Amino acid sequence: MSTLLEKHIVELLKERNEKAISLLYENYSDTLYGVAYKVVRNEELAQDVLQESFIKIWKKSDSYDASKAKLFTWLFRITRNTAIDKLRSVNTKSDKEIQMDVSDVYNLGVEGIRPEFMDVQENLEKIESKYQIVLEALFFQGMTQQEASDELDIPLGTIKSRLKIGLRELRKIYGPTMILALLLNLM
Amino acid sequence: MKDKIKDFLDSDLLEKYLLDDTTSAEAFQVERYIAMYPEVRETYEELQENLEVYAKLHALAPPEGLKETILKRIKSQRHNSGRKRFIKYAIAASFTAFLFAGASYFFWNQNQSLQEENVMVNNKIKSLEEDMREQLMDVRNQFIVLNNPQTKRITVKGNKKAKELKAVTYVNPVKKLSYINVSKLPNLPKDQCYQMWAEVNGEMVNLGIIKEAGSQEKLLALPYSKNAMGYITIEPVGGNSTPTVQNIVANIPY
Repeated sequence: MSTLLEKHIVELLKERNEKAISLLYENYSDTLYGVAYKVVRNEELAQDVLQESFIKIWKKSDSYDASKAKLFTWLFRITRNTAIDKLRSVNTKSDKEIQMDVSDVYNLGVEGIRPEFMDVQENLEKIESKYQIVLEALFFQGMTQQEASDELDIPLGTIKSRLKIGLRELRKIYGPTMILALLLNLM
Repeated sequence: MKDKIKDFLDSDLLEKYLLDDTTSAEAFQVERYIAMYPEVRETYEELQENLEVYAKLHALAPPEGLKETILKRIKSQRHNSGRKRFIKYAIAASFTAFLFAGASYFFWNQNQSLQEENVMVNNKIKSLEEDMREQLMDVRNQFIVLNNPQTKRITVKGNKKAKELKAVTYVNPVKKLSYINVSKLPNLPKDQCYQMWAEVNGEMVNLGIIKEAGSQEKLLALPYSKNAMGYITIEPVGGNSTPTVQNIVANIPY
């Protein structure tokens, strides 16, 4: 299920029309920058990551397969992988350890939050932090479930179930609001 | 079946696939499940929606000007890649041209030498053919001469200078063919040789050097003419262009 805008962007990408990048930036840069920042935790690095990601998106545009993934999923994968690579190249092996801190979850600057997500942001706090930590570790820190299990000292089975519950909770709480917000945003 | 799907959903393969953390074999398996089972497909769609929602929760405005930087980089890259592609094609094209030129030269060269060889072989065949025809003709003539009842057989002996010399001529006036068989020649010093001549219509014709008193069967053709005369002379090694009259060792009337 994709929106008209997504279809339009995908078409432009296939045509190698630079307007696609412009539209992608307008509609996804906030989210992708957020993803990059979550992974590298440094504004400068996050900006580099965002730049490199967009270049990759442009270069790989003909490899996007709408039947295999939503546009956002594809964008997310590229950005996350770029960010993880960046982090690995920056970190020396000794301090490769990734700091896991619950407060990071709320670390966003207020002006960085888009107004249409404000109420959602407030609600985010309602997800139990134990689920959030798992979601964060997996989605943003680039850990495998096994690594998250080791890092957070939580059994692998628990990681798996928390991931599932966390995602489900997320949907339960934000699903309708979010979809509305997304629709408004994409109109 | 249900268990299989449940097991699959309980594993973290789908989540890993969502984040692009699968190996290619795993990705293949996941894609198969998604295509085959609506339940898996639904879960995957749901996960994708969740991911988008979750990511959007953390949206952060990038600094101003970044968009322009990115667009500029993409434009220059496009330009560059165009140029790079051109250079790539140019290199490929010149390499191909070079290869083609090399191959052409090689084949041209080969063609040339083959042609030369062809001419040589053709010439060889032609001369062999001629030789063969000549020999065949010779043998036929010999046969005719030897078997014809009208053939005259004349025995020739050497004069004082070469008493041992012995030769037999066969002359057939009907067929106008003459042959000679030199069967015995006295030995000569090393710097001398026997040479045969024929006087045909008043002209002296060099018939060549007689190397050895050949075997009995060896016949030498003589140019035919009515009342011709043959001579054998002793000449310096290598032969002479005109006969040395005082050295005539045999007169061969035929």
